[in-house]
Amino acid sequence: MGRMKFLCDAERCIECNGCVTACKNEHEVPWGVNRRRVVTMNDGVPGERSISVACMHCSDAPCMAVCPTDCFYKTEDGVVLHDKDKCIGCGYCFYACPFGAPQFPNGPAAFGARGKMDKCTFCAGGPEETGSAAEYEKYGSNRLAQGKLPLCAEMCSTKALIAGDADVVANIFRERVLRRGTGAEVWGWDAAYGGGERKQERKQERKREGQS
Amino acid sequence: MSTGKLKSIALATLAGAALLGLSACSEVPQVTVYEQGQYRGKTDARPWEGGEFKGDRAAWEKALKERSRGQNEYNRIQ
Amino acid sequence: MLTKKSATAATSARRLRGAAARQLGQTMDRRAFLKRSGLGVGAGALATQLPYNFIGAADAAAPAGVSRAEGKAEIRRTVCTHCSVGCAADAVVRNGVWVHQEPVFDSPINLGSHCAKGAALREHGHGEYRLKYPMKLVDGKYQKISWEQALNEVGDRLLKIREESGPDAVYFIGSSKHNNEQAYLLRKFVSFWGTNNTDHQARICHSTTVAGVANTWGYGAMTNSYNDMQNAKAMLFIGSNAAEAHPVSLLHILHAKENGAKMIVVDPRFTRTAAKAHQYIRIRSGTDVPFLFGLLYHIFQNGWEDKQYIDDRVFGMDKIREEVLAKWTPDKVEEACGVPAEQMLLAARTMAENRPSTIVWCMGQTQHSIGNAMVRASCILQLALGNIGKSGGGANIFRGHDNVQGATDVGPNPDSLPGYYGLATGSWKHWANVWGVDYEWVKGRYVSQELMEKSGITVSRWIDGVLENKDLIDQPAGNLRAVVYWGHAPNSQTRGAEMVEAMKKLDTLVVIDPYPSATAAMAAMVRKDGVYLLPACTQFETHGSATASNRSIQWREKVIEPLFESKPDHTIMYAFAKKFGWAEQFVKNIKLEKDAQGWDEPSIEDTLREINRGTWTIGYTGQSPERLKLHMKNMHTFDVKTLKAVGGPCDGEYFGLPWPCYGTPEMKHPGTPNLYDTSKHVMDGGGNFRANFGVEKDGVSLLAGAGSASKGADLQMGYPEFDHVLLKKLGWWDELTDAEKAAAEGKNWKTDPSGGIIRVAMKNHGCHPFGNAKARAVVWNFPDPIPQHREPIYSPRPDLVAKYPTHDDKMKFWRLPTLYKSMQEKVKDISKDYPLVMTSGRLVEYEGGGEETRSNPWLAELQQEMFAEVNPKDANDAGFRNGEYIWVESPTKARLKVRAQVTQRVAPGTVFLPFHFSGWWQGKDMLEFYPAGAAPVVRGEAVNTATTYGYDSVTMMQETKTTLCRVSKA
Repeated sequence: MGRMKFLCDAERCIECNGCVTACKNEHEVPWGVNRRRVVTMNDGVPGERSISVACMHCSDAPCMAVCPTDCFYKTEDGVVLHDKDKCIGCGYCFYACPFGAPQFPNGPAAFGARGKMDKCTFCAGGPEETGSAAEYEKYGSNRLAQGKLPLCAEMCSTKALIAGDADVVANIFRERVLRRGTGAEVWGWDAAYGGGERKQERKQERKREGQS
Repeated sequence: MSTGKLKSIALATLAGAALLGLSACSEVPQVTVYEQGQYRGKTDARPWEGGEFKGDRAAWEKALKERSRGQNEYNRIQ
Repeated sequence: MLTKKSATAATSARRLRGAAARQLGQTMDRRAFLKRSGLGVGAGALATQLPYNFIGAADAAAPAGVSRAEGKAEIRRTVCTHCSVGCAADAVVRNGVWVHQEPVFDSPINLGSHCAKGAALREHGHGEYRLKYPMKLVDGKYQKISWEQALNEVGDRLLKIREESGPDAVYFIGSSKHNNEQAYLLRKFVSFWGTNNTDHQARICHSTTVAGVANTWGYGAMTNSYNDMQNAKAMLFIGSNAAEAHPVSLLHILHAKENGAKMIVVDPRFTRTAAKAHQYIRIRSGTDVPFLFGLLYHIFQNGWEDKQYIDDRVFGMDKIREEVLAKWTPDKVEEACGVPAEQMLLAARTMAENRPSTIVWCMGQTQHSIGNAMVRASCILQLALGNIGKSGGGANIFRGHDNVQGATDVGPNPDSLPGYYGLATGSWKHWANVWGVDYEWVKGRYVSQELMEKSGITVSRWIDGVLENKDLIDQPAGNLRAVVYWGHAPNSQTRGAEMVEAMKKLDTLVVIDPYPSATAAMAAMVRKDGVYLLPACTQFETHGSATASNRSIQWREKVIEPLFESKPDHTIMYAFAKKFGWAEQFVKNIKLEKDAQGWDEPSIEDTLREINRGTWTIGYTGQSPERLKLHMKNMHTFDVKTLKAVGGPCDGEYFGLPWPCYGTPEMKHPGTPNLYDTSKHVMDGGGNFRANFGVEKDGVSLLAGAGSASKGADLQMGYPEFDHVLLKKLGWWDELTDAEKAAAEGKNWKTDPSGGIIRVAMKNHGCHPFGNAKARAVVWNFPDPIPQHREPIYSPRPDLVAKYPTHDDKMKFWRLPTLYKSMQEKVKDISKDYPLVMTSGRLVEYEGGGEETRSNPWLAELQQEMFAEVNPKDANDAGFRNGEYIWVESPTKARLKVRAQVTQRVAPGTVFLPFHFSGWWQGKDMLEFYPAGAAPVVRGEAVNTATTYGYDSVTMMQETKTTLCRVSKA
């Protein structure tokens, strides 16, 4: 078992926000705290793409690196979690995180009044007894301990968001990429922003011209 | 040159050398070496311990693998 | 390491940031509204319950009430109630509390997937902003009353009105969110009350579809299914924003796209669906007929039509061809809808060269004054290409609410009894028989036989039923004096400014709903009394069946007991039936059960069995409760592409026994996944077009061509529908049992209570009971036999109004005078003052009128303000910027104060507003008018406050998609 990862397939994401509400649902996340959000680029024009973002459970987590109280830890499966009892709500992890994953229930406020940092836990609960009321109150559901995967990915409307063991996730995505017809060149400027599709279309046009 | 002037030059060079030597001893390093802090919170049980899987890691991994099939519709659609 | 800085890293980061900023769209996206952190309402209440606020050890005291881990976990399987895709969900319940929601990967329809609404279902178990108990408007404020008082007062008031003015003075607005059994009982309820003045959301949703499509080939429903779209090679979406209205359908659609299918999206807006399309075509709202016939022009020009198919199975295509080639040449098409010839040709070629190709349409096509013509144009396109009756083809009509299909099929329709039997004497006799009551007694409930057989007023016009001159209303009762809003929102109907006037004039207004709904607020804004609110349950607090858009019927288990003092709708119906004095007749063949509070509840299973006994026309007869429950338990055995069970207890059946599932449950018909499919045997879900319009017209036979019949049919040519005469003629009469013969004598397949005619025709001889005929491209009983383009009533193009004027006025249309030409003439030049086209549509986070979903904090947080999408050019001309408040004003003089979202999604000249909001009235928050503690978290202007007059020429559908407005800075 490798590390746990998220992957959001931007070709399939339709910005339905199912992942967002699934997370709210499962963990009773209060208003103002958004563990997961959908980000859209080029809204309203051709080339519009959406992607669902939460904590990416980085291998070299910046939040963990900068925390002054060292309240972060990384599980054997690569999930980045933290202890709210040690958190002082300083917000340094929020500055460090490139994805904006750390959330503070009292919003933008002075040092000391923001509340305890809250973020996506990969549905793995936190450092309280597994399945206890205390764990649920502080961190939300521990689905991993039940042999389940994060609800956001399990409920994604188009199965754009995939979560689980990195190898499994990569295999699922690879199958789609192969079907889409863009092979190894899926990454890079050739394929980005509809380039892959334009290439396909040019190929088909040439085929049509060749036939006529 | 008078002995007095020679003496002061020698004294100056000696003092300079001594100073140089001394500065090597009291130099403070300019570059911070970063050390990852140790986690200071509560211990957390691993997912396969307790409750459903009672420590059986292989069973837990198998359950997760089976569960992940739900995220790939190609499993059901040929 | 993080703290080690290198010069190259810094500069490259800076470069990347710059590049990214240039790449990012200039206009702000909807999510940007989220940056304004929430309205305190939800945050305050919830945050104090959770220990996030303090520094120090996070105190994890368990909340008062149930621990999530205590008690045995029970799983109840239910279906989402927010749209017609029908996503199954498992509810985990402990000690009667809904604690978790799990995905149902086994479901062949959604495979575990949900959109924002489906993923937030569990909030129904919280119900913070629900209507908790019966309430009465007293001196302008809502006060709590008991159920007993509510039932008595409302009952007495309605009975008094009935005595004074007749039963037709009361309007019962029913619901597409009732399950099948409740919807069916409501039709019975209003029939025993004695009126046809009833309706539900289908009127303002797909009523034009049902009428247009049924008149083309037999049944007016989605012909294939969401799953079947995986077999399509090309898909044309016209007037459908499936990515927001039916998100999980995109699972199947994008899977198909991934495997080579082409997507074409036609819409005035660049929607999220368009973002996934290969071709996006922008058309002017309301010009679907020129577009579709423009496609047909190229198809006919290039000989791409399926000539054999047309010969065998279509009537009148030659006339269409003539009209299209003469009238809809590329220049005329471009003039009308704005699409240039190359785009049209490419789209036509894509659909023709990638068959089977399918078409999808929704409100963009239906909500127009010529909606019936537009949907028929879509049908004709598919008939020309030979796509109907083919897997991967079809006319995939995505319906709206979760049970709008079921409510249309068996529920409260003003023009028909359950099952599309209509209101003829024979139909009434049939249903009186099924209901176990005397036909004469039912007739006696109505003022006269004439009124009993006359279609009622539609929900889209109830306000005119109140406000119109009573001499012009085609019923002796004259004006409506009371309206019962039973599971329906008010802000989904047009002309909201006039609606409050109607509310003022009413004697009594009753709302039966899980939420007070905007009706309560609008009424309290203009009245002091005479309004009652009765709390109904959601579908998670009761059980029953619901029909998804693909005609599959799914069974919902009860998740939790009714919250607060709410009651299931059918229990409320029975309580009123008792009050009105016909309780016994109401549940003649239906058992009563006592609920937890000792109220009588009609048995849902028995009600479905009654539906099974009566609804032969559309094959709601084979779906017994047992068969449906078995399907829900064995979902994993169904193949996702074909919906057929492979092995297991449901082997050979199609998921949800999609109607028509002909014959008695004992006959075990497997359901029909794709309609009109001649490649299959009728006992395997196959079929052909319906013989419903006679056997010949103008010397041409209407029956199907020789050799064209469903697989294995004993009659391999066209044949009329089956009745006792035909059976005897064919010599098959003696195959009936004696009991069947006795029942079927003198009857046809729709009125034979034994199902014997169906059994013999289908099982023994592989023939379709409704005959085998041609589809009609020319529908001679419609205002325009060949679909014509007519400009909307409020058109932005006076020059085209002259060229394509609308219909003549109708004086007695669904009991009301309805204006077309005179209205269009009157407002012909109004586009000088109101130059922008105003259109409306859906958002993924909300459903329908929105009071239910906007009361769910998880959803409400995502879309906190009402807004209007305005093109940068129009915004700059009017002088406002993104995020500012603007006034959107329509020719009704109503003004809406909304946020401006300046975006290129809409073209210059079009303004888009979502229709889910309510709770503001022309700039003012209506919070004070709601009952205390029961207002939605998010409130905003209702676009329909400002929409205008305009109705479909066949079904009275409202013209919501095209009207005019002007914008200005607030």
